[in-house]
Amino acid sequence: MNTTQTCEQKSFTLPIGPVHVALEEPMYFRLELDGERVRHVDITSGHVHRGMEALAAKRNFFQNVVLTERVCSLCSNSHPLTYCMAVETLTGIKVPPRAQYLRVMAEEIKRIASNLFNVGIMAHVIGYKSLFMHVMEVRELMQDIKEYIFGNRMDLAANCIGGVKYDMDEELREYADKNLEQVAMHLREIIDIYRHDPMIRARTQGVGVLPVLEAERLGLVGPVARGSGIRLDVRRDAPYAAYADLDFQVITESGGDVHARAMVRLREAGEGIGIVRQILRKLPEGERSAPLQHVPAGEAVARSEAPRGELFYYLRSDGSDVPLRLKWRVPSYMNWEALPVMMKDCAVADVTLIVNSIDPCVSCTER
Amino acid sequence: MPRFLKILARNLLKGPSTEAFPFKEAFTPPRYRGKVVMNPNLCVGCGICTHVCPGGAIMMKESEDQNGYYFMVWHNTCAFCGSCRHYCPVKAISLSQDWHNAHYQSEKYRMVEHHFVPYLHCSSCGAHIRRLPPALAARIYSHSSVDPATIIRLCPDCRQLATAKREGEVHESSPAPQQP
Repeated sequence: MNTTQTCEQKSFTLPIGPVHVALEEPMYFRLELDGERVRHVDITSGHVHRGMEALAAKRNFFQNVVLTERVCSLCSNSHPLTYCMAVETLTGIKVPPRAQYLRVMAEEIKRIASNLFNVGIMAHVIGYKSLFMHVMEVRELMQDIKEYIFGNRMDLAANCIGGVKYDMDEELREYADKNLEQVAMHLREIIDIYRHDPMIRARTQGVGVLPVLEAERLGLVGPVARGSGIRLDVRRDAPYAAYADLDFQVITESGGDVHARAMVRLREAGEGIGIVRQILRKLPEGERSAPLQHVPAGEAVARSEAPRGELFYYLRSDGSDVPLRLKWRVPSYMNWEALPVMMKDCAVADVTLIVNSIDPCVSCTER
Repeated sequence: MPRFLKILARNLLKGPSTEAFPFKEAFTPPRYRGKVVMNPNLCVGCGICTHVCPGGAIMMKESEDQNGYYFMVWHNTCAFCGSCRHYCPVKAISLSQDWHNAHYQSEKYRMVEHHFVPYLHCSSCGAHIRRLPPALAARIYSHSSVDPATIIRLCPDCRQLATAKREGEVHESSPAPQQP
C-alpha cells in the first residue's frame, strides 16, 4: 500500500483482488482513496482468459455447443442456446415448437437459480450469513430440478443444433411442479425480507447509485439497467424461442442502487417460476429437434436475454464443418463500465457489495 | 429481523439438509448424466459419436488383425454432455447413473469404457463387413420386399450382385416392355 501523507489529508492506493472480490472470480481493482472514500477506480482484467473464441474456430459445430456451455457456469445454458440460434439462423433450420418451449424452460430454470445465487451472495457480503444460507438452501431446490430433469446441477446440456437433447414426461412435470411450488413459497418470504429488513436496507439502499442517464450512456443491460428503471429485455424486445407465446412482466425498479438491483433479480426469479409453470401446463407435443442440414458459408447473429442481460453471438462460416469465426459479447462486458460510476465516492466497505450488485461474470467476459 | 427469526426457527426444526455421504449412499436421480456406457451388440461403427464428442474422449480404431474395431471412451476426458447418446442412430450409447469418478493415479488408464466389436464375414465372399443390427436393418428395409435377414450377411459388393440377380429374375418372369 502506498501512503502519501500530508498534514491535512491522507490518500491511499488500495489494491483489491484479483482473488475473491465478492464471488470466486478474479478481477483486480486499484482504488484511490481519500480516507474512507473511493475517489478513483482502475479495473484490470484478463486473469482467466482461456482463448475460447480461438478454440471455437478449431472445433466443429457440434463440439462448439458443449464448448460454449463451458464459458460460464451460471449462464451455461444461455451460451449454447444463443450459439445454436446463430447456427440455425445461418442454416435456415426451423426449430420445432416443443423444442422452443423446452429451451425456454431450461433458460428460466437457470435464471431463477442464478438470480437466487446472486442475492444470496449479497447477504453473505453484508455479513447476514444465516440469510445467505437460507437463500442458498432455496436455490438448492432449483439445483434438484436441474439434476432431476437434465442430469446435472450446472451444465444442463439441454441444447443441440435444431432443438433440444432432453425431453419431459409426466413424472418430471410433477417433480418440477412440486419443487417450484416450494421455491415460490420461499421466494415470497425472501422478497419480503429483502424489501423490509432494516439491516439489509441500511446496508444497500442509496449505495452504488446508478442514475438512468449514466446507465443509458454506458449502454448497460440486464438487471443492472432494469434496476435503474430502464425497460430493456431481449425476451420482450426481440422475442426468441417461445417467449412470444408466454406471459411475463419485464421487472424494473427505480432506485438504481444495490437494493433495487437485488429486488429486480428476486422479482425476476418469481416471473421465471411463472414462465416455467406456463410451459409445464401447455408444452406442445411433437419432435424435440429438427433434422440436421449442411451449414452454408455466410454470417449470422443471434441474441438472447441471459440472467445478466443481453448476450450476443456472431458466427461466420466458410461452408466447412468448423466455424471460421465465433464471437460473443456478454452482458458483464458493458456492466463493468458501471462500476466506476457506482463506486464514485463510496465507502471502502461497500466496494465488494457494489461489485456483487452487477452480478459480474468474469469467466464470460474474459473467456 | 423478526421475519427471519421465523424462518430460522423453522429451519432449525427441519434439521440438517446435507446428505450423509460417504457413510450413506447419496440420492442419484434416474436421469443423472454419469459415465458413458456402450452396448457393443448395437454399434454399427458409424463414428458419429467420435465426430460430435467435444473433448475427443471417444476413439474408434481397427484392431491389428483387422477382425473388428475397438471402441473406447476415456471417462477422465468425457464432459458428460450426452452428445454421443443424442446423435447415436442405434441408441448403442447411454449415460449411466454412476458418478463415482474418484480414483488413484495408478488406475487412470483403467478409467475407460472399452469394447471390441468384431466384423462379420460376408456369407458370399468372406470379406470383412461392419455389422448391421437386425433391428436397424428391419427399419431401413421396412418399405422394401428385401429380406433383411439375408442382406445383413452380405458385403456391399455381394449385396449389389444379389440385387442385380433378383431384379433380373423379376424382369425375365414379366413380359418384355413394348418397343416404341
